[in-house]
Amino acid sequence: MGRRVLIVDDAAFMRMMLRDILTKANYEVVGEAANGQEAVDRYKELRPDFVTMDITMPVKDGIQAIREIKQIDPNAKIIVCSAMGQQAMVIEAIQAGAKDFIVKPFQPSRVIEALQKLE
Amino acid sequence: MPDMDVYLTVFLEEAKENIQELNDLLLELEKDKGNLEIINSIFRIIHTLKGMAGTMEFDVLAQVSHKLESILDLLRTNKIKLNQDLMNLLFKCADSIEESLNDIASGGKGETFNIKRLEVELDNYLVTLKDKETEYKKIAKTESTIINGRIKDCYNNINEETMNILKHVYQKAQEKGLNFYFLKIFLLENVQLKQARAYAIYHRLEELGCEIVYTYPSVEEIEKENFDRELVFGIVTSKSIGEIAEAINKIAEVQSVYVDEFSESLMEEAILEKEKQQEENIENNEKEVKLLKTIRVDINKLDELMNLMAELVIARSRIVETLSKYNLKEVDESLSQLSRITLDLQNIVMKLRMVPVSFVFNRFPRLVRDLSQELGKKVNFIIRGEDTELDRTVADEIGDPLVHLIRNSIDHGIEKPHERIAKGKPEAGTLILSARHEGNGVIIEVEDDGRGMNKEEILRKAIEKGLISSSEASKLSDEEIYNLVFLPGFSTKTVSTEVSGRGIGMDVVKATVENLKGTVSLETKKDRGTKVTIRLPLTLAIIEALLVTVDNDVYAIPIANIDTTQRLADGELKVVEDREVFLLRGEIIPVVRLRDLFGYGRKQGLIKENIVIVRIGNKKHGVVVDKLLGQDDIVIKSLGSLLSDVKEFSGGAILGDGRIALILDVASLM
Repeated sequence: MGRRVLIVDDAAFMRMMLRDILTKANYEVVGEAANGQEAVDRYKELRPDFVTMDITMPVKDGIQAIREIKQIDPNAKIIVCSAMGQQAMVIEAIQAGAKDFIVKPFQPSRVIEALQKLE
Repeated sequence: MPDMDVYLTVFLEEAKENIQELNDLLLELEKDKGNLEIINSIFRIIHTLKGMAGTMEFDVLAQVSHKLESILDLLRTNKIKLNQDLMNLLFKCADSIEESLNDIASGGKGETFNIKRLEVELDNYLVTLKDKETEYKKIAKTESTIINGRIKDCYNNINEETMNILKHVYQKAQEKGLNFYFLKIFLLENVQLKQARAYAIYHRLEELGCEIVYTYPSVEEIEKENFDRELVFGIVTSKSIGEIAEAINKIAEVQSVYVDEFSESLMEEAILEKEKQQEENIENNEKEVKLLKTIRVDINKLDELMNLMAELVIARSRIVETLSKYNLKEVDESLSQLSRITLDLQNIVMKLRMVPVSFVFNRFPRLVRDLSQELGKKVNFIIRGEDTELDRTVADEIGDPLVHLIRNSIDHGIEKPHERIAKGKPEAGTLILSARHEGNGVIIEVEDDGRGMNKEEILRKAIEKGLISSSEASKLSDEEIYNLVFLPGFSTKTVSTEVSGRGIGMDVVKATVENLKGTVSLETKKDRGTKVTIRLPLTLAIIEALLVTVDNDVYAIPIANIDTTQRLADGELKVVEDREVFLLRGEIIPVVRLRDLFGYGRKQGLIKENIVIVRIGNKKHGVVVDKLLGQDDIVIKSLGSLLSDVKEFSGGAILGDGRIALILDVASLM
């Protein structure tokens, strides 16, 4: 119980929302990151079961972060959180090693379902 | 916006046809509730109506049709069952839509109270269904993926070329000991970034080491997001069905996945079926083309054509008449040809205006159904001769009188089931509506096997209403008594029911029929039933008439009214009670002399007079004239509004020689 999740998003609001959704579904949010570089650092440190990854972020974008995390841990389970209209980026993220993606605005049930399917 | 008025007539005409068809189909459906074909036809009609109403911007009508369509869609996909409640709702829809159309016809927007109420009712119905339906959907979904075993529709979109490639791939895969699977994937509703979603699936398959050999939709279409919720992949892989299914199921927003081994036979079957369907579509298209070969013509244009036709007939008669004086052999042939052609032309123009009586009769099964349900009676309704054709104008007018007669039969004639059983009659009454050609006219009969008319009751009523005196009453024959019901202000039921008591009585029936130059009569027998017979002319514009003269004036008597003609010998007319009568085969017939009636004065010299026996219903009358000129087709011309109160003549006609003949309204002579 209580799978450990790292939330990566540059918007605090989105992080908060995701935290709420995940917590309600019995996930343990072990950390948050506001950009790609932070995400890589936090991943090394926390070794979460899942990562939710935003794509467009300052300092280092999500796709680059996915590549780096995958190098650290090829079995990392990363799920991309994308806004509508970022089709090409999502495809790139999947090629970079993301397991799956969800689309903003989030429907809680779909977020949870996507995570459950990753297990 | 273009001027919609141009389309309004066509819209109404077509919509009314649709409603008529809808009513017929509903009646059939009620008898055969599971018949999908009927439901599909109904669905099509409503769909058409929705489109038309939407285009014409009759929003309420369009909305109602849309909601009705949703219900029908559930019906035809077997998501809900057709019960009597729903059946009644459907009937109600037909009624309200018709009412709305009538409102549109009279200049409204079709937003009648009833249709608005219906819209709410349909909404409620759909809402209550919704919960049930979603549950049902879930069950159906799992059933279709698991129970079906093999899904053929994976192969539905494969063309022949692809089929051959796939066969080849299958062969190669088998040689290499690999599996060739078909995957059918359903996504959740409202999936965003569908292209990326499809890519995620694609990517997952590649990760698993699958070679993707087929996708539907094609990659290009997927990139354009030209697909709904369904994706089909053909893959070659070393993995098992279970492994593939599990992996795909783990992708977000995938609702379900079905994996099956590629089957050549299923693919071929699916392709064959598709071809067959295409052929059927082509056939249907051909059918439609045939239907399109008719055109709609404004009835006024037909009237004009008829008028011109009439003038042509007159002109022809004049030419024939004029030329015959010169006895020119050379023109004989061309004259007879001209006559033949005009006659053919006349027939065709007449036929153009003809519609089968089914045009009128069609709405009656529904009427009978509603009435008998309302009144708790059982009625077998039989329609005969609905192919019989008559003039569109006559058909338009005859509907209301028939409605009244049918109402009468069901309300007053046919007894309740228990009453009938007590009388030793079958529980269900029989009501026959028939039409047939007879002579130069059409006969329409409404016949029931009900309780018949009650002589005493009629007499009592007639005296009570002051229509006749009791001394008169004792002299009346049975037939005359029954004919009392045609008098204005007569109604046998003390408490008029909702059904028959709508203000129109038998007198109106009679007046309408007579306006159409027709006659109405009735026969009735106690406990055996009543038969009302309506005789109508085929057309109102041209009639066959007997031309007669008084001095030098010509009068026309419609052939339809004529029983016999006879030369009158001296002293053949007897006087009974100060009236001249004529004895025809033992029957005493009252006589009127046109000479007296129109004030010609005494006849000159020793002209042998003739008598024309005319008939209205079962009554006969003698009309004494000078000479009989012969029979001819005459074109009725109205006398104009100035002379509208002249009762003796129903019109005038121009004869071939340019003379004018007045057409006798025989009924007024009696």
